[in-house]
Amino acid sequence: MNSVIAGITLRQLVSRRRTVLLLLLGLVLIVVALVFRLAGDEARAMHFTAGLLSSLGVGTLMPLVALILGTGAIGAEIDDGTAVFLLSKPLSRRSVVLTKLVVAAACAIALTSGPMLVAGVLGAGGLGDGLVLGFVAAAAIGSVLYAAIFLALSLVTSRALVLGLAYVLIWEGLLAGLFAGTRTFSIRQQTLAFADALAGVPKAVFEAKLDVATATVVAVILLVGATLIAIRRLSSFEIAGETA
Amino acid sequence: MADGSATVELTNVSRWYGNVVAVNDISFRLDGGVTGLLGPNGAGKSTILHMLAGFLAPSSGSVTIGGAPSWRHPEMYRRIGLVPEREAVYPFLTGREFARANARLQGMTPAAAEAAATRAIALVELEDAADRPIGTYSKGMRQRAKVAAALVHDPSILLLDEPFNGMDPRQRLHMMDLLRSMAAEGRTILFSSHILEEVERLAGRVLVIVAGRLAASGDFREIRRLMTDRPHTFTVRSSDDRALAAALLTLPTIAGAALDGGLLTVRSTDFGAFSRAVSGVARRAGISLHELLPTDESLESVFSYLVRR
Repeated sequence: MNSVIAGITLRQLVSRRRTVLLLLLGLVLIVVALVFRLAGDEARAMHFTAGLLSSLGVGTLMPLVALILGTGAIGAEIDDGTAVFLLSKPLSRRSVVLTKLVVAAACAIALTSGPMLVAGVLGAGGLGDGLVLGFVAAAAIGSVLYAAIFLALSLVTSRALVLGLAYVLIWEGLLAGLFAGTRTFSIRQQTLAFADALAGVPKAVFEAKLDVATATVVAVILLVGATLIAIRRLSSFEIAGETA
Repeated sequence: MADGSATVELTNVSRWYGNVVAVNDISFRLDGGVTGLLGPNGAGKSTILHMLAGFLAPSSGSVTIGGAPSWRHPEMYRRIGLVPEREAVYPFLTGREFARANARLQGMTPAAAEAAATRAIALVELEDAADRPIGTYSKGMRQRAKVAAALVHDPSILLLDEPFNGMDPRQRLHMMDLLRSMAAEGRTILFSSHILEEVERLAGRVLVIVAGRLAASGDFREIRRLMTDRPHTFTVRSSDDRALAAALLTLPTIAGAALDGGLLTVRSTDFGAFSRAVSGVARRAGISLHELLPTDESLESVFSYLVRR
């Protein structure tokens, strides 16, 4: 970890307009929960909260937040050329990648788990026997995974945002619903598996489609793999060349 | 700095992108002083600087800084100060914060970084704007903030890509003085430019790059002589072109004059002498000079002359 890079990255992520949009997205989650609470259908509170946190929280807010922050953490600096100021220093590229990842993941957790906690408490009228905290903790793990993958993607391609969105919408949104095998490599499904395990609520309330053991193994492989790829890519980072 | 730590060397270096050759078999060695990398846009100057700065791997040949390869060698940044051509600097940081961050990233303690940032800001005369966000800076101020950031750790080698872009004439002169004095202390300074006058004023040594090749290298005066010895063509408009042509032909440096379609074209063998003499000749002949334009003074034409030579 490098505190100077962490500080610059944090200010950079916070000062972007997109980050404000992500805050608004989190607010939508809270507003939906608030509307439900005001409607006062207490009998469905657990079902509703599980559905809200899994679809709108884990399914929408978490990937979008991590996509914007993960691809922006270093990709934005590479795009505008400011990355040169960080990379022309006697620092290991590993420390640059790890610092960026920690900051991006921390911001993603704050912008995802924060609104999910508030929305969950509103929806369930409390912590819902571990349901809310289970989802909040699982979303934190999912945010780290997504951030690592999207950060690596931004070092592999200049179209990381588009490809990341395609992964979330097509692979996770479409294919993982149709073919069981594709769920193994879906961060969303892994996160839901963690939520299921951590929340410990009855299957009637919520049940993940992926078992937690598989999710854990694949998640660790993805996290380590993405981080190693990112370090490797940054170690041989080349400035886009002029055409002679 | 006579220990070779400030030595910059390219040996038979080529770099290509797919089928496009950006740099073609270039070799040179620099051991201190100011060197200008001169060439038209797209000639390969930035590619050379990027290879030296460790941001591009040579496709063949070797690029070394202080004897060690520059590629994938972050430790060398302790002795290198880099001013990239791209303008972007973190807009939310102030000039002082930016310089301080660069010093901290060089491994300085907070107190040492503060002192180094203050010194570097003063060197580039950015004190008045140092505590304003860089987002509010003019192009020339941003450029100076980048130079300050490159100087914070007192590097023995400075690589600057088009450093004078956006600076006003006074800032330009100040920056030239600064670079000259740094070179006098034994540093190796390499800067790129596509503007002949910048290189002429600052660099003792010049590397002329044209289409990826080293077209000429050496003392600037020598290259300048090669450039100015070629014939130059001017178009002239005056109150009496015919009389002016006759008067000009008496000058020893005039190789020919032609009146074509009402336009007087003059060929001279000595750019400087002709430019100085022409107004005197016109005045003595009682002719008003309206316009005097060199027709082939684009840098590209100078370069293509050097390449053909």
